[in-house]
Amino acid sequence: MLALAVVGPGFITANVDNDAGGIAVYSLAGAQFGYSLLWTMIPITIALVVVQEMAARMGAATGKGLSDLIREEFGFRVTFWLMLALVVTNFGNIVAEFAGVASSLELFGVSRHIVVPVAAFIVWALVVRGTYDSVEKIFLAASAFYVCYIVSGLLAHPDWKAAFVGTVSRPPATAIRNYSYVFMVISLVGTTVAPWMQFYLQASIVEKGITPRQYKASRWDVIVGCLFTDVVAWFIIVACAATLYAQGTTDIKDASDAAQALLPLAGKYAYLLFAAGLFNASLFAASILPISTSYAVCEGLGFESGLDKRFHEAPVFYWLYTLLIVSGAAVLLVPGIPLIHVMALSQAVNGVVLPFVLVFMLLLANDKELMGEFVNTRAFNVVAWVTVAVMVLLTLILAIRH
Amino acid sequence: MSLVALSELLGATVRDATGAVRGRVREIAVAPQDHPTRIAFLVVRTPDGERVLQPDALKAAAGSSVRAASEAASWPRYSPSDGVLLLKRDLLDQQIIDVHGRKVVRVNDVELECTPINSHLLLDVIAVDVGARGAIRRLSKGVVPSFTLRALLARIPPRAIPWQFVDLIETDPARRVKLKIAYEGLSKLHPADIADIVEDLPPAEREAVFETIDEEVAAETLEELDPDVQVSIVESLDKDRAADIVEEMDPDAAADLLGDLPEEQSGEILKEMQPEERREIAQLLEFGEHTAAGRMTTEFIAVDETAVVDDAIESLKRFDGSAEAVATIYLTGPNHKLVGVVPLVKIAISSPATQLSSLSDPYVACAPDTPESEVAALFDKYNLITLAVVDEHGRIAGIITADDVISMLRNG
Repeated sequence: MLALAVVGPGFITANVDNDAGGIAVYSLAGAQFGYSLLWTMIPITIALVVVQEMAARMGAATGKGLSDLIREEFGFRVTFWLMLALVVTNFGNIVAEFAGVASSLELFGVSRHIVVPVAAFIVWALVVRGTYDSVEKIFLAASAFYVCYIVSGLLAHPDWKAAFVGTVSRPPATAIRNYSYVFMVISLVGTTVAPWMQFYLQASIVEKGITPRQYKASRWDVIVGCLFTDVVAWFIIVACAATLYAQGTTDIKDASDAAQALLPLAGKYAYLLFAAGLFNASLFAASILPISTSYAVCEGLGFESGLDKRFHEAPVFYWLYTLLIVSGAAVLLVPGIPLIHVMALSQAVNGVVLPFVLVFMLLLANDKELMGEFVNTRAFNVVAWVTVAVMVLLTLILAIRH
Repeated sequence: MSLVALSELLGATVRDATGAVRGRVREIAVAPQDHPTRIAFLVVRTPDGERVLQPDALKAAAGSSVRAASEAASWPRYSPSDGVLLLKRDLLDQQIIDVHGRKVVRVNDVELECTPINSHLLLDVIAVDVGARGAIRRLSKGVVPSFTLRALLARIPPRAIPWQFVDLIETDPARRVKLKIAYEGLSKLHPADIADIVEDLPPAEREAVFETIDEEVAAETLEELDPDVQVSIVESLDKDRAADIVEEMDPDAAADLLGDLPEEQSGEILKEMQPEERREIAQLLEFGEHTAAGRMTTEFIAVDETAVVDDAIESLKRFDGSAEAVATIYLTGPNHKLVGVVPLVKIAISSPATQLSSLSDPYVACAPDTPESEVAALFDKYNLITLAVVDEHGRIAGIITADDVISMLRNG
């Protein structure tokens, strides 16, 4: 519990990062490609640390949210289009979270037609009633579930040599011509370095009132959080590679397939464990995404926002929040929609939108007038620009191949 | 007289006296030291650098074109200066304080008024647009033909804030002076409303407000803010300024605040304060925050038991503490012992020569270490407006007022 008392915005953001979309993409990556995508984890981790640190530093140095800064420095039109992209992208993520809730309970035979509306209502009420703050610690504690993947990965007797070689070696040259491989790389980046995280983290830093003086401690919070996320991601891929891929189950159709990665640890309780973990992760992220999107959009576009306001004082804020939840949940009631693939697809969209957000972050973090002594260092610029270039390139390859 | 929007003028082509296009409008400047609303000049980007176009050389400014009466060669070169307000950089897309609506809003557009005078134009800022009209204008500029756009915009109800109700936020103190930003409108609001506004601002902007507004208003506003926000604001101010503001606060609120600050900083602030205020607060700081003494104020009215109504009124006139504290006048006997209380209302309806002791009610008092919950219970049981805190010798050390109890109960 002591550890829970000191975790800050960085660690919370990182935990929410392993949401329904994250679990789906890492599981698919391990099941479809075995150890051959593990090489992405090191560059992704570096990019994640750099990008999250930038967002946190901007929050501490300016005391303003990312959408506020974009609006003030780049004007209304740019902000409008970027916010539109953010709403569309985050909407995909919200659908993915509800898909996560639905598939976790479908393991127990509960119909999604009951689960999804109930979950949507719970999320809506949690935040609007202000009970979210007290529930956050429960979500966070329940995130300890991720440790299960680490243990399961260890118990599955993976081919350690292949896993480590896969982590440090270059990708095969032919991979670039493989459509689904490139798609998976984009999804992996998109789920780990998601655009919403940058808005959410920076807003949380501002909300917590972290000033440049307290920033040193926050930086560690961010770095530790990022490392934790990616260690978990690495083990999810390894666990899936050692179980699903090894036995030839390369396509995950539903949650019961994905849950098999936990068999070595939990045996017949694997389903239970997976369901509980996925349920918690999905509900956690579902409580954060719609509200953080509404804040970002309203602040950027200058609409009244805040839960301390009444509905008629901040109509756009509350309507956007409500619509994101209601329509996000409604999508899942379309008959026959494949839940796991919905989760994964939303993460690819994250990856495509990421470079646009990154470019604005880079321009802002290099603005001396804005950042003062907290302006970006060259190493950070190199890593972030390379990330932008690689993501644009991968998206182009995907577009051409399609 | 006609209206033109800043976003229409920005990027508009500029023709000089010969009728040839010489450049485009890049910025529009107001010099608040010369005139609070008048446009001082336009900055025009021409092929050979940026030039200044003064309004006395302006013939027309409408839609997307500006015509000048002079030749481009006579326009002076532009050199940036701190003393002018640049509407695009300093106002457009920035947050401002809407004094009338009592909130922080973001500027979507700025409305200017064109008045033809003799052979040239006067341009004045009249309002900032914070609604959909400005937003849609900027979104569709250059995409939708301008006459269609105007017809469309005319259907959208305007949400504009008249310029006199706009308070700009400038974080650089030197520039604030040059631009004559004094938060006059803001200072006239109720401190509770100022506090709401301040909570919506980023830290540097909060600091700017507290550096500028009147100390007394600043002190009352500070009392209305969350303890965390209070601390971060006081930490950001320089020690002199912080001490000036803390001096004006109710001693109990000031003691709570200083108790929340790191010891080194509260020490420095205390050192800058007047000896009398410093002593009072230092005393309060010694008690626990959640006791009667931690909640009490040392500013109250006490008169000798032999005094008459007229004497009480004289003390009232000299009193500079809070209005809540005067609801009760305390009577003291030998050695400043508390002997009675007289409600203000009895003084108001009695003749000047009446003995105060004849008006006195039985009094209720508590010890300095009484816990908050018991204090609240006393207020409830005896229907009190104020409660005296007395030391072990029965001397009155301070009083607690009902508003303190309400905030105590609300904050748990």
